[in-house]
Amino acid sequence: MRKLYRNISVVTTVFMLVLAVMLGVSYYQMQQVSPLETGVMETLKELNETNGDNELLGQQIRELDLLSRKAYFVKEGQLKVGLYLLLGMAAVLAVCLNLYFKETKNLPEKEFDPIDEWMIKSRARKYIAWAAVVALLVGIGFVGFQHVDFKGLLARSSGELGSASDTLAAQDSLIPQLSTVNSQLSTDSVKGEEVDSAEVDDGMPELKIASRAFRGNNSSATSSARGIATSWNLSAKKNILWQSSIPKHGYNSPVITGRNVFITGADAKARELYCYDVWTGELKWTVKADGIAGSPGSMPKVNADTGLAASTVATNGEVVCAIFATGDVIGADMEGKRLWAKNIGLPDNHYGYASSPVMYGNTLIIQYQNNSNAQILALNAKTGATVWSKKGNDKIAWSSPIIATLGGKSALVVMGNPAITAYNPNNGAEMWRVECMSGEVGSSPASAGGVVFGASEYAKCVAIDGATGETLWEASDYLPECSSLAATKDLVFCATSYGMVCAYDTKTGEVKKEHDLTTPFYSSPVVVDGKVYLFSNSGKVYIFSASTFDLITAFETGEKTFATPAFTDGMMIVRTDKSLYCVKKN
Amino acid sequence: MDKGKMKSPMDRRDFLRTCSAVVAGGVALASGGLLAARASTKEGEVFWQIDPYKCTQCGRCETDCVLTVSAVKCFHANKVCGYCDLCGGYYRPNVKELNTAAENMMCPTGAISREFVEEPYFEYTIDEVLCTGCGKCVKGCTSFGNGSLFLQIDQERCQQCNECAIARVCPSDAIQRVSDDNAYKLKDHA
Amino acid sequence: MRKFFAIFLGTLCCGKSLAVARFPKPDFTSGYQYPDIVHGAPYELLWNVLDVVLLCGMMMLVVWAAYRKRRRAVIWSMSAVSVLYFGFFRSGCVCSVGSIQNVVTAAVDSNYHLPWYVLLVFLLPIVFALLFGRVFCAGVCPLGALQELVNVRNFRLSRAVSATLSVIPWIYLAFTILYAATRSQFLVCRLDPFIGIFRLGGDLGVMSFGIVLLVMSVFVGRPFCQFLCPYGALLSVFSALSWKKLEITKKGCINCALCGVSCPVDAIRPPQRSKTKEMRRKGVNRVILFTVLLPVLTVAGGWLVSGQSDALSLAHKDVYLYEQLLRQEANPDMEEPLEVETFHALGGNMEELKEKVEGIREEYKTYAWLAGALIGFVIGFKLLKLSLKRGRKTYEIDMARCTVCGKCFNYCPQNLKKDEKTIS
Repeated sequence: MRKLYRNISVVTTVFMLVLAVMLGVSYYQMQQVSPLETGVMETLKELNETNGDNELLGQQIRELDLLSRKAYFVKEGQLKVGLYLLLGMAAVLAVCLNLYFKETKNLPEKEFDPIDEWMIKSRARKYIAWAAVVALLVGIGFVGFQHVDFKGLLARSSGELGSASDTLAAQDSLIPQLSTVNSQLSTDSVKGEEVDSAEVDDGMPELKIASRAFRGNNSSATSSARGIATSWNLSAKKNILWQSSIPKHGYNSPVITGRNVFITGADAKARELYCYDVWTGELKWTVKADGIAGSPGSMPKVNADTGLAASTVATNGEVVCAIFATGDVIGADMEGKRLWAKNIGLPDNHYGYASSPVMYGNTLIIQYQNNSNAQILALNAKTGATVWSKKGNDKIAWSSPIIATLGGKSALVVMGNPAITAYNPNNGAEMWRVECMSGEVGSSPASAGGVVFGASEYAKCVAIDGATGETLWEASDYLPECSSLAATKDLVFCATSYGMVCAYDTKTGEVKKEHDLTTPFYSSPVVVDGKVYLFSNSGKVYIFSASTFDLITAFETGEKTFATPAFTDGMMIVRTDKSLYCVKKN
Repeated sequence: MDKGKMKSPMDRRDFLRTCSAVVAGGVALASGGLLAARASTKEGEVFWQIDPYKCTQCGRCETDCVLTVSAVKCFHANKVCGYCDLCGGYYRPNVKELNTAAENMMCPTGAISREFVEEPYFEYTIDEVLCTGCGKCVKGCTSFGNGSLFLQIDQERCQQCNECAIARVCPSDAIQRVSDDNAYKLKDHA
Repeated sequence: MRKFFAIFLGTLCCGKSLAVARFPKPDFTSGYQYPDIVHGAPYELLWNVLDVVLLCGMMMLVVWAAYRKRRRAVIWSMSAVSVLYFGFFRSGCVCSVGSIQNVVTAAVDSNYHLPWYVLLVFLLPIVFALLFGRVFCAGVCPLGALQELVNVRNFRLSRAVSATLSVIPWIYLAFTILYAATRSQFLVCRLDPFIGIFRLGGDLGVMSFGIVLLVMSVFVGRPFCQFLCPYGALLSVFSALSWKKLEITKKGCINCALCGVSCPVDAIRPPQRSKTKEMRRKGVNRVILFTVLLPVLTVAGGWLVSGQSDALSLAHKDVYLYEQLLRQEANPDMEEPLEVETFHALGGNMEELKEKVEGIREEYKTYAWLAGALIGFVIGFKLLKLSLKRGRKTYEIDMARCTVCGKCFNYCPQNLKKDEKTIS
């Protein structure tokens, strides 16, 4: 009988060991990596979103999903059954062992302790005393090196964190898209004006206020710059810091970050990104958009008013990205090293591609709406990988997207034909959509106080509540064609192609003030330091008060200007049709 | 008392022991009484619950509960729901087609189901048996919808640990003890 | 009210979207009715009454079995009941061991709610220990009972070693009190080795530790109770002073030594007459030395542990968050941990947090001092006790160690005699 108990015990022990290891592993898996959240699965889903209609991919996802769900629930069931089995076996083992040892009671065995209790006590005393001394020494050591230990402790815990994220990263490393989403999420907040005044070698500071896209940061048509000159003279060099020539033509506007000024230029031979020094006007470097796979061999047919380089560049202070009418997009760092380049498809555009991208954190957002294949693309600025994309049925538009703060959150506002749409810039999820546009939309929207304003010739001017997507008012007194809107919380400024400029009331849509200037405007108004700066095509500058829209001053500069100026601390960079100059009080 | 008896070491030991027993008993009784007085004066907050207005859907509810499948479940407040067709909790962002294909669904376990009510409304229901409390749908609904989906601790499943393992790691301190008559913090309570 | 609440939170969480009605409530035309959803009801508080009644009843049964019947069977079956009811059915919470923390927290924080049954769960075993010894450990505590059930044979440990190891529960207790008093975490609950077995799930590391302990307890009596349990340490003090002392038999010891061998926790002391020749003077000097050393060790312990209070305070969530924030600030390129991210997202105020953390660290200084002093005192006291000589004439139970498992009853030939008589 005893033999039987022994055998049962041995068999159950072996079974229990095997079962325990199996259950342990499966439990660990369930705890650590949710079988439903595998990297492969997420990758496939991401791919599905970025790729076009790929029925095969969908099929694959569905199969994998079914499989992993089955695995999950089966595993869950198995775990439960296994644990009960283990418990039952433990009970059997305990009973068998008890029965086996029942005959052999604990009988006095050879005492290894000394018989004399006093000796045991003395020995215990010694042990405790030694343990206490060791503890004391260790404690004193810790106190002595406390800050060292403290750092070690922190490092250890961060190491744990790090290794956890490492394993995650390892899982995700298969797919660049995924990691870009992660990195993009972590740098979620849109950086506004970067406060950074590290001294550079020649003693000239980097500028605190940047203008990182078409019409300023986030394409907002406002700047926090102050002390901008209100008069200058190019020929007399009055209030002009420098003037430089531009190698290749383009209608795009300058962009400023740190001490770099970026513009692009293009002709049939080459498309180039230029970096100028904001203090000297010296051309620091040029990056060519050449040798790009998928780039068209011959230039697309474009209107002379648009050109091959109508799109302004966008930067986040680390990477600058430029797009050309060929569909070539490049990214370069601040030292002029080209980081990546790709062709996103030749734009089917009868005037030429003209929309300027905007930068949101580390994401470059491109409104790529042409006669066919209209979409919004979000690329990782550092790698060019697609973060998300959003296809739509919108018609062609030349408008540029903006990043606005709506209901306390950053939103991407895209004005197209036929709708103004707000998206979550992190993932492209649509927040609201208002169909209100028609015709050829070339103007860009503006936003102030959580309200989005959009206007286009042959359509109307609308104000939309950014939180709800509700239309607040509509007006059609004066409408812009190429020039874009600028807004303060009280007024919306609008410059037309037929010489009328006006200011709408943001609350009611009523025209507060209008001026007939009898000269066309392609450049856009910018609100800076309580004033509105506006260039006419002929190069005449108009400066208005931003609160009343009264004309403060107007004068000719002598050079044709189609681009919108960029502002930074006490300086304004203007691109004319042949040169780039910097206005600074002297 | 006989002096000789007092001198005996056994008596001295007994005396010491009695003294310390009285002291120990007194301490135990006194502290017990004090704490009892304190215990009786308060309203009983004994159940763990999530404050949905504090919750940030970090996902730890799914992973940190002592139960293999978390006691935290997604609840749905029908009276707050917009009954949308394009539901941020039901569909993944960037969904291409509004159908139940796996690549379009937000819930990893398929715990959310919906039923057509009338044009254009859909009623959403959570199957708590399948729900793992990951909070993905809650995040979607809170970001894009009315926030009618929210996480709650299912009191039937909760083990009422002395210290909630999720509360220990909750980054927004959303898990607190609640009283018996407030065992749930529902969003559709008028 | 609801609106107010939403606004209030909205301002608090700066723009975080909360139950904002982005989409209006639908106007149903088909006569659709909102479904009635019933959520699982929380367990009845009646269970707590049953817990306390059972706790009390089972302890009484153990007392009856140990003092009247002197038989192990009842005590053993209590163990089985306890493991099934308190362990598997009630899944182990709240237990007396863990209730130390609730009581300590309630003692330092008047806002902390201490339910009456938790207080009873904490106090009843102490009251019983003062009257009859550690009857709670015998077969009522599910942790002890589980080890009792799987115990098969006892291999003896060196007494000097086990005496040294018995300091560990006090250190554990000191840190438990420290962390509970500073409201950092419930250490005992977190490190409870057997709760994972009762719940069939939990932290894998702690569970494996529990399994190792359980395997150990097949061959060594109650390793957790002897060398870890902080509540056992507390009970041993009261038990040592208990009103009634457990006797193995009423019929006179024959010094057969069987009881001493049977005891799984080595609580039975054999008859003893010191054979060591030592100058009385030397012994007295040693006692005086350790008496003087007792306060010195107490102060040294307090000083040492309070010196670590800043590092120890990292166990507090807020302090840890603060350190993480500081690290993030120093190294902004690092990936933000979730806590930091949430802190920023909810618009946390660094200054406020800093103030809070400083307050917590102050508290830590005080309580770490107390915890260290407790450890120092226990070590000093043990040393003092070990330097006292005592003689015994028969086998005697050390009430501080005895867990009233009743094994010795079934071994003692004198105790078994009565049964034979009644049978015959």
